[in-house]
Formats: sequence, structure tokens, C-alpha cells
Amino acid sequence: MSSQAQAGIYPDPGIQAAAGKTVTIAVAGNPNSGKSTLINAIAGTKLHVGNWAGVTVEKKEAVFDYEGGRIRLVDLPGIYSMSPYSQEEVIARNYLSTEMPDVIVDVVDSTNLERNLYLTVQLLELGLPVVLALNISDEADKKGYSIDSALIAEMMGVTVVKTSATKKRGLDDLLKAVVRVAKDSSKHHPRQLNYGEDIDTAVKHIEARLRNDYPALDDSHSLRWIAIKLMEGDGDVQRRFNISSSDPLTDRAFAHLKKGQGEDIESMLADARYAQAAGVTREVLHKPETDKVELTEKIDRVVLSRLFGIPIFLLAMWLLFKLTFDISTPFVDWVDAVITGPLTRWTEAILAFVGASDWMVSLAVDGVIGGVGSVLVFVPVIFAMMFFITFLEGSGYMARAAFVMDRAMHKIGLHGKSFIPMILGFGCNVPAIYATRTLENRKDKVLTALIIPLMSCGARLPVYVLFTAAFFSAYKSTVLWSLYVLGIAMAILMGLIFKKTIFKGEAPTFVMELPPYRMPSFRSLMIHTWEKGKHFLIKAGTYIFAVSILVWFLINLPWGVEDQKDSYLGQAGQVAAPVLQPLGFGNWQAASSLFSGLIAKEIVVGTMGQIYAPEDETEVEEETPTFLEDTEEIGTSFAVAVKDSTLSVVSSFGITSITAEDDPEQAGLTGEVAGAFTPLSAFAFMAFVLLYMPCVILLIASRQEFGTWKWAGVAFGYQMVLAWVVAAAIYQGGKLLGFGA
Amino acid sequence: MNLAILRPGEKGKITKIDVSGPLKRRLMDMGVLVGEEVKVEKVAPLGDPIEVTVKSYKLSLRKKEAKNILVEVSDE
Repeated sequence: MSSQAQAGIYPDPGIQAAAGKTVTIAVAGNPNSGKSTLINAIAGTKLHVGNWAGVTVEKKEAVFDYEGGRIRLVDLPGIYSMSPYSQEEVIARNYLSTEMPDVIVDVVDSTNLERNLYLTVQLLELGLPVVLALNISDEADKKGYSIDSALIAEMMGVTVVKTSATKKRGLDDLLKAVVRVAKDSSKHHPRQLNYGEDIDTAVKHIEARLRNDYPALDDSHSLRWIAIKLMEGDGDVQRRFNISSSDPLTDRAFAHLKKGQGEDIESMLADARYAQAAGVTREVLHKPETDKVELTEKIDRVVLSRLFGIPIFLLAMWLLFKLTFDISTPFVDWVDAVITGPLTRWTEAILAFVGASDWMVSLAVDGVIGGVGSVLVFVPVIFAMMFFITFLEGSGYMARAAFVMDRAMHKIGLHGKSFIPMILGFGCNVPAIYATRTLENRKDKVLTALIIPLMSCGARLPVYVLFTAAFFSAYKSTVLWSLYVLGIAMAILMGLIFKKTIFKGEAPTFVMELPPYRMPSFRSLMIHTWEKGKHFLIKAGTYIFAVSILVWFLINLPWGVEDQKDSYLGQAGQVAAPVLQPLGFGNWQAASSLFSGLIAKEIVVGTMGQIYAPEDETEVEEETPTFLEDTEEIGTSFAVAVKDSTLSVVSSFGITSITAEDDPEQAGLTGEVAGAFTPLSAFAFMAFVLLYMPCVILLIASRQEFGTWKWAGVAFGYQMVLAWVVAAAIYQGGKLLGFGA
Repeated sequence: MNLAILRPGEKGKITKIDVSGPLKRRLMDMGVLVGEEVKVEKVAPLGDPIEVTVKSYKLSLRKKEAKNILVEVSDE
């Protein structure tokens, strides 16, 4: 909620003029109008990113001092309209109609004036002072557009400032205009659109009626706006302001109008608004007559062509995958090395110095440091992914990717844009979940997130490597390939099942703008990436850390447990073993390993190492480096990480992230596993590892992204069932076919 | 005639939008209005969706949605 007491009060010029008053600006605008870039350019590092109350739509806010006053800037979601149908629109409406900011800054794309002014017309209906930022003016200039801003100001009753966020032009003028308007808001009355006599009369009637019947709704709520929304049959406004649905006057007004016009009122109003937007555009905009083919059109002739559309898309996806994982991998390794190396040694040394007991050292090193480590290793990959996804979106290619892939994805109930998070899932499912935010519709987002875990991520690879080395060394790549294909096949199957069950009914629509190609500003990219990364660190980090500590206790309790079999983890494994009997690996060792795999898949191999071959864990006494050597090592290894990261971009060939390498240190474990499984049960085990819940971090990411545990729960449940059924089918079917021996 | 069967390069004037509810509002908000001129620009490589120009910007929509947008083909 607003921390500002005056937020709900009609902006009184007397109060406005008083020194020290915070001016609240709400920034509204169409998607692709350069609004984010503008906000980043104005507020930059002062921005605070959070979520709108109760929903997972991102909310950016900044408070800063400007010319002796204080400005509070609230970024509203990018919207095309103030209709009640999308989450973003409802958020923007609610904020504007109940919080009543002092000034609305409407960011308009100067190269797409008419459609942008359609939103402006709707913002004017609120009766609040509006400052119009004619953004992307540099591009408009280049195209030879001439826009008469004084005429817009006159026709719409707004203040107009030309800006170019990417070139940082007009930003100061914009803030100055905002402060000026806020100081004197009574003089800045937006011009109200005339909807024609019939509708205007009805609106006035409803307005008068509201004033009379709902005294709680005074002018601080823009009665005219509410009246117009009621005319449109807007159920959301009706509920929000508690207006009785059987309001006789509303109904009568409707009846009379419906009879007269034979068309629904919502369409009539949309027509009237567009007519005004078109009228203003016609008057103020002068385009040169030209047959010049625009750059975007030239690019699209290739990028969207029948012949090259799909190859270019695949190339872009390959690059996205390569860049995300190859750039981040050296840093992930570095973080990991620092944590398991110097940091662990120092902690051990300090604890030994103060005389801490063994279990305290273990808790600190395996629990706390291990927990911090499991959060930190995700940081490079999340940052890299966010950077490239933001780039794809900002450049305009994301919409093209959706356009190219939509048909294929739509068949399994998904959206064209779903493909991108799914591709990223092959590297790591966790950033892939965050990548679903490029989808606008919640249904699309949730369905994509539910299917992502079936993309076999890099962390599952060590398990495959161990088992293929033990059983299938002759057909290693075929077996690996079959697992990836199995995952994709299951994703298609589950997509179809979800489409027919949980997500039955009207499929989300696909009415999407293909914005012109633009080079996103580097500053904006960096700010966005940083904010996202920070958000992950704080929000998900807390959970991941807590879970890591919990796991330490599960493995090490009851106190003084010696044999893994007797730890809580081992006991859980013994309980679960019979359930896994039909799958061919019904023993406590396999079950315990799978339990630990819930934390992260790569742990499965580690746990198997401890369970099957504990004697192999002979600690090689190394010469302990000194503190100075350690510090030096951290620095030089970081330099190496930077070098490797750069090199991997330059020589981007061969996907290193999913290259299977035999680990010679695992030779002992491979032998043990070869004795404990049969080829058939080994394959069933790998299929199970592929399909069951990838890791708790994924659940946490999904909780964070969707604001509820519900979808995390659904994902967990269906994957457990699916993994069991498929592994059982493989084992039992294989036995019937005679592969059982 | 409807928008889904126009070929790339062909233009038409919208005569009726035969849908209701959120989809209709969404189309109107994006400038797909009766009386408006639309031009089909491209068909996606896999045959769906299509790209059109309306209100001098580019919009994409599925054929399923375009089918309900009735158009009158301009003579020129």
C-alpha cells in the first residue's frame, strides 16, 4: 500500500505548492513505447523492484530528490488499454483510479502515434493531469516525421515533452514539466472526450446517481471514469467500488442505448476513442511521402521468411543457450571453487582455533557454507540468462520467435514464446522458470513452467554418465539421446493432458504486436539484469539456504549416526524402497539417493558415492595453502574465469554444457553400481531421475514466480507419478520382452 | 471474405468482427476496428499465425482469430 498519506486525496493546489511535498508520478504507456528505458534513464539505480500486491507482476518504484522537491515515481505495467481483461491492465487501472497520483506521465511512441494515443484518451478519462512524453523522438525525426506537440497539448489538454530515452534527450524537461504541472494541478485539466450526445447524457446521469447513492465515492475517485466503466459493463469496477449490479439508472441507460444503437456499448466507446486518437494524429503528424522500405521490413523479409524463418530461429536459440551457459559456466566453477576451497578451509581453521566440535564444523561447512554455495552457483547463470532474454525482448526478436514457433507450440496448448524457456531448461530448469515471465498470459506461463522440468537439465547428466559408463559404454550417445527424447516426448504428452484437463476451455489468444527492431540501451539491460539477479538472490536465496540446512540435519540426525542407513535419510529410503520395487530398484540405497536428488540432481551421484562406496573416500592429504596463497588463488582463478568465459563466446562450437565426460575418480562407484543394478533397472532408474522433480530450488522458483505454492505442488505431484509410471513401464515391459536378465 | 484467407500483400476493409468478450475488446484495443484497412504482410513459416498491418503498425494473430474478422477486399 501507499506509504503516502495524501495519496488518496484530491491534489489540492495549496498543498501542492507547499515545500517538501512528495510529488507522486505514475508512469503509464504502451508496451514497446520505451517506457522501461525512460524510467531506467531517469531513476536508474534508485529503482526498487518488487511485485504488485497479491500478484506477480513486476512493480518498479523510485523516490528521489529533484530541484528541492521530492519525487516518487511509480512504473505501471505496459498496457494497450484500460480494459478489465488482463492482469496488467487491472493493476494500472486500480492504481490510477484509487491512489490518484499527482501526475500521470504517459510515455508515447512517436513512431506509432495513433495506437499510443488511444491509451492516452483513456488516461484522460480519469481527469488527472497528464504529461505526455513523446518518446522515441529520435527515430521519428530520422523517419522525417514532424509532430506538432503544441497542437497535441491544445487538443488533449495535456503538457507535451519530446523525449528520447535511449539518447537521454528531454529527460530533464520532462521532470521539470511534471513538477510544474504538479504544483499547479488545478490549471491542468485534461480535455474530456465527447462520446456523442446519447452516451454523454447517460454518463452524466450515472455520475449524478453515483454522487447521490455512493457518498463514499467523492471526486477523489473520478466519478466520471467510474460512470464510463459502468457504461461499458465493466464488472471489475462494479465489484471494486461495491456498486449494486441492479442499479436502475444504469440498467435503464443501457436499455435505452442498446435499443438506439444496436451495437454493444463497449465497442462504441472503443470506436469513439480511436476516432479521437485518429483525429489528433491526423492533425498533428506529418509524414513524408516515401516508398522507402524500412529496416525492420527488410530484416523481417529474411527473418520471417518461409525458407529462413526456422533456421534463423534455431540459430538464435542455439546462440542464446550457448551464450547463457558458456558465459556463466566458468564463473559458476569459480564460485564453486572459492566456496569449497578457501572459504571452507578458512572456516575450518577458525572453528578449529576456537575449539568447535566436529558436528559444529560439519554444520558450518556442509550446512551453512554448502547452502550459501548452492545459492551462489545459480547467480552467474541467472544473470547471464536475464541479460540475453532482456536483450531478445528489447530488440524485438522475441515477438518474431513467438511468431515463427507459435503453430508448433500451440498444438500442445502452449504459446509461441514458450519455446524459449523450454530451450533454456536443457541447461538449467531454474532460470527457465524465471524466463516464463516473457509470456504475457498467466495460463501460458503456468503451463510452460509445468512442462519445463521435463527438459533434461545439465545437473541430471552426472547420473546418466555414471550409469551409461557402468552398463551402456558401447551405446553411450544413443542412450543419452534416448533420455533427452523421452523427456521431450513426455513434455508433449503432458502438454496435451494439461490442455485437456487443468487448462480446459478457451485457449489464451495470440494477438501480439511485432514491434520494430531496436537496439536496447546497454544501461537499461544492465539495470534490468542486476535487479532480476538481486531479486533472485534475496527471495529464492533465503529458501534455498534454509532447505540446505534442513538437509544437513536429515543426513546427520539422529545424533552420532555412523551408518548412512540409520540416518533419517537412510530411514526414509528404507520406507520408500518397497514403492520402487516394481521399477527394479527397490532398495534403500537407491531410494535414499533419489531422496537426496530432490535437493539437486547432481547430489544423487554424491550420495550414491557415500552409500555404495564409502571406503573410496580416502582423503588425500594435500599441503594446506596459506591464507595469502588462497587470496591470490581467488583472484587469479577469477581472471581465468573471465578469460574462459570470453573464449567460450569466441569459439562457440560444441555445447560444452551438456558434454558427457567420464570422471576417472568414479571408477570405484561405477563398479559398485554395475553390481547393484541390471542394465534394465539402470535404464529405468535413469528415466526416473529424468522425470521426477528436478530439485527443490525449482519449486521455490515456481513459488516465487507465481506467488503460490499451488503450481509447485502440481508440478511435484504429476512428476512423481509420471516418473513412477514410466520407470515401471520400462522395467516391467523390458522384463516381458526378455531384457530382464 | 475473412482476414484468414487473404494472401500476403492483399488489403481489405474490416466489415465485421464476429467475436465477443475479451477477444473482441483486445482486437479493438489493438486497432482492429470496423472500417479499418488491414493488409496481410506475411504468413509464419509453419503456416500460422499471420502478420498484418493495421493503424500503420505490425500485428500478428492466429488464423483462428483472423477467421472471425470479416473483410471486404479493396479493388485497387
